[in-house]
Amino acid sequence: MSHLPPPMFRVLAMALSAVCATATGCTVANSGHGGYDPDTLRIVLSQEPPTLEPCESSLTSTGIVTRSNITEPLAERDSTTGELLPLLATRWEQTSPTEWTFTLRDGVTFSNGAPFSSKDAAFSIDRAVNSDLNCNVDGYVFGDEVLKLRTPDARTVVVGTAEPDPILPLRISFVEMVPVTTSTTEKVREPIGTGPYAIEKWDYGQKLTLARNPTYWGPAPAFAKAEYKWRSEGSVRAAMLTNDEVDIAVGLGPEDGAGALGVPFQNNETTALRITGTEAPLNDMRVRQAINYSVNRTGIVKALFRGLGEPAAQLIPDGVVGYNPDLQLWPHDPDKARQLVDEARADGVPVDRQIRLIGRNSQFPGVTETVEVIQSELADAGLNVKIEMMDTAAQLQYQLQPFPANAGPFIALIQHGNQAGDAAFSVDQYMRTDGAQSAFGTTDFDKQIEAAGKLTGEERQKAYAQIFADEPHKVLQFAYIAHMRGILGKSARVDYTPNPATGDEMLLAAMTPASSDRTDQS
Amino acid sequence: MFSFVRRRMYTSALPLIIVLLGVFLLARLTGDPTNLYLPESATPDQRAEFAAANGFNDPLITQLIDYFKGIVHLDFGTSLRTGESAADMALRAFPATLQLAITTMLLAIVGAVVIGCWAAYRPNSLADRFSSLLSMTAASIPDFWFAITGVWLFAVLLGWLPTSGTDGGMLSWILPIATLMIRPLGVLTQVVRGAMVSALSAPYVRLARSKGAGDVRVVTHHALRNAAAPALTVAGDLAVGLINGAVVVEAIFGWPGIGKLMIDAILQRDFAVLQAAVLLTAVSIFLLNIFIDACYALLDARVREPARV
Repeated sequence: MSHLPPPMFRVLAMALSAVCATATGCTVANSGHGGYDPDTLRIVLSQEPPTLEPCESSLTSTGIVTRSNITEPLAERDSTTGELLPLLATRWEQTSPTEWTFTLRDGVTFSNGAPFSSKDAAFSIDRAVNSDLNCNVDGYVFGDEVLKLRTPDARTVVVGTAEPDPILPLRISFVEMVPVTTSTTEKVREPIGTGPYAIEKWDYGQKLTLARNPTYWGPAPAFAKAEYKWRSEGSVRAAMLTNDEVDIAVGLGPEDGAGALGVPFQNNETTALRITGTEAPLNDMRVRQAINYSVNRTGIVKALFRGLGEPAAQLIPDGVVGYNPDLQLWPHDPDKARQLVDEARADGVPVDRQIRLIGRNSQFPGVTETVEVIQSELADAGLNVKIEMMDTAAQLQYQLQPFPANAGPFIALIQHGNQAGDAAFSVDQYMRTDGAQSAFGTTDFDKQIEAAGKLTGEERQKAYAQIFADEPHKVLQFAYIAHMRGILGKSARVDYTPNPATGDEMLLAAMTPASSDRTDQS
Repeated sequence: MFSFVRRRMYTSALPLIIVLLGVFLLARLTGDPTNLYLPESATPDQRAEFAAANGFNDPLITQLIDYFKGIVHLDFGTSLRTGESAADMALRAFPATLQLAITTMLLAIVGAVVIGCWAAYRPNSLADRFSSLLSMTAASIPDFWFAITGVWLFAVLLGWLPTSGTDGGMLSWILPIATLMIRPLGVLTQVVRGAMVSALSAPYVRLARSKGAGDVRVVTHHALRNAAAPALTVAGDLAVGLINGAVVVEAIFGWPGIGKLMIDAILQRDFAVLQAAVLLTAVSIFLLNIFIDACYALLDARVREPARV
């Protein structure tokens, strides 16, 4: 008789050996649990940045790490006051109707030691706006505009436009500066910049570490390093915060469980229903008014957003140039909504035709419930509404022109964030007849928008405020819901006050150790 | 044995090609990814330029031929999202999933054999009922719920384990493995128990007992060997599911594996990465199936040899 164990046991023995080998040789496990370096800021994001390419920094997932941490622009917008502040440029002026001249800061170097000059500034703008790289910032801020660039001396760069552009410095503030050695044929995942931090190591899929830039021109940031990780689940990000595994957790919802560590802040986003007023029954003004009377904005904010938001009467929040403080909320009046729908029906408008209510999964906390409530409210008014929840790619087909053929009447739940601080960036997109995210408009209203875009200062503010006041009477493409608020998870170890731009650019240099910080626990 | 493996390789080639073809076509049915990669304010010209540069305007058949040509040259394309080689991204993510899946499956097999044998040895006893309840519950619990509850209980409330990630050494493996293991453990325990109940009542077991074999020897040398074949078949299917279905665990625990990579690629319409990840997964499942068949043949001579008339 053989003394060898039976085959099943041989298989199991091999299996157990493999378990041991796997467990001892785990390539994905790399350090011990517990403890932290008090000089390192630990941050958890909702997703890994796809790239840190500076010309992609208008993408939230890239900009939140890159902007003003690794690379910097010539000027920076104060997200609270809207004022444009000097950064790598100390001043700028309009030197001709189609030219702006920027004077650069002295003594700035890139993290690789190379000095920053006007050649780098002109190169960076040219690379981001005029190149074939298809940079996100190009499409977001400049459209198909081509800029002319001159560098009269090492500290001066002149930017020319085809038409007078009163807000060119604001647009330029979206362009991050990179050295002239940066590739113009390929995007770079790990850029060199002038910012307070530089990339130390990026373990793709696991974590990204930034270290203090020793050549930084400004005051050294408080933390020597910043370590980013990413988790897609909000509840896990909140648990990491409460379990003292991170100091900052972004993108939390009220239900994620951060408790007292969650800090609410206004995040510049506004939610609204965008109505395709070119298809019956939505092409009838009374039906669009009925939709507005049906939506209980105050109830949605209170019950579904748990108070994290303000019911909205316009597309932009306070703090953005063009905000109209005098606009009142559209009243919630279900009876009036039913009456308007009945009137439209009596006049032969096919109010029974099915309307698609299109939402995007995970667009904001409570989006599914919001869509369900709105569907119910519109049904109560007498409209035939069907919910369609889609992923981002599918929903964008209904958010961006041209819409799919034979889409029929649909209402898209949108969320718009104005990062730039000027109403032009919202109105051109959402209210012009040919706006990429506009469903319809009128020629007269387009002229009003165009005229506002040419103004500056107080006149510009008034003109855009008037546009928001007029739109519900002249077009009525929207039923605004709320100016949203986000939650940033923050440990007691760190002092930081989130601002409206925090979701798009989170300045590490603004974070300091709290006075009550604990000592090293490692 | 070699000819057996060769036969299996031939029969698996066609399904592999069908899978690749299916993923290619289904991915493109989900629409053009241009809108995802350009800002919402991009002009129509910029959109057209992007689509043309990435071949999205080409006829489907042209894209398909380019794809298969690329496979022949081991060129799987570049990620739209990161600009990296799609093959590099898939190969970097795959070992993490494999480690997780292998460890989970082996622990599940060991656990199922122990619990299943124990329950089968005393059928209808309290121990048997308890193990049935345990395995049915384990097979029914949603992994998402189990994972989040595990994080809340063991990380937040008790502070014993890290919430997620791979920085916590061995401790960081516990929750992902427990989450991934619970379903296979429940299913396998039931299979082992059922097979062992049948085996323990078979004539050869009664013969072994009559010849004086002890309980341990009867279970391990006689019954378990014959009960192993159905358990191995089910374990193979479950292992395939683990490699393919670690998406939830990888997403929740921040495990940098191929399941997470695939789901991100789907959501971002990153076709090259999706195709590279599916190809790698399909090939590994194909190899796993051969391995399982080889184990099966090792256990049962009838499988190795072609039937003789």
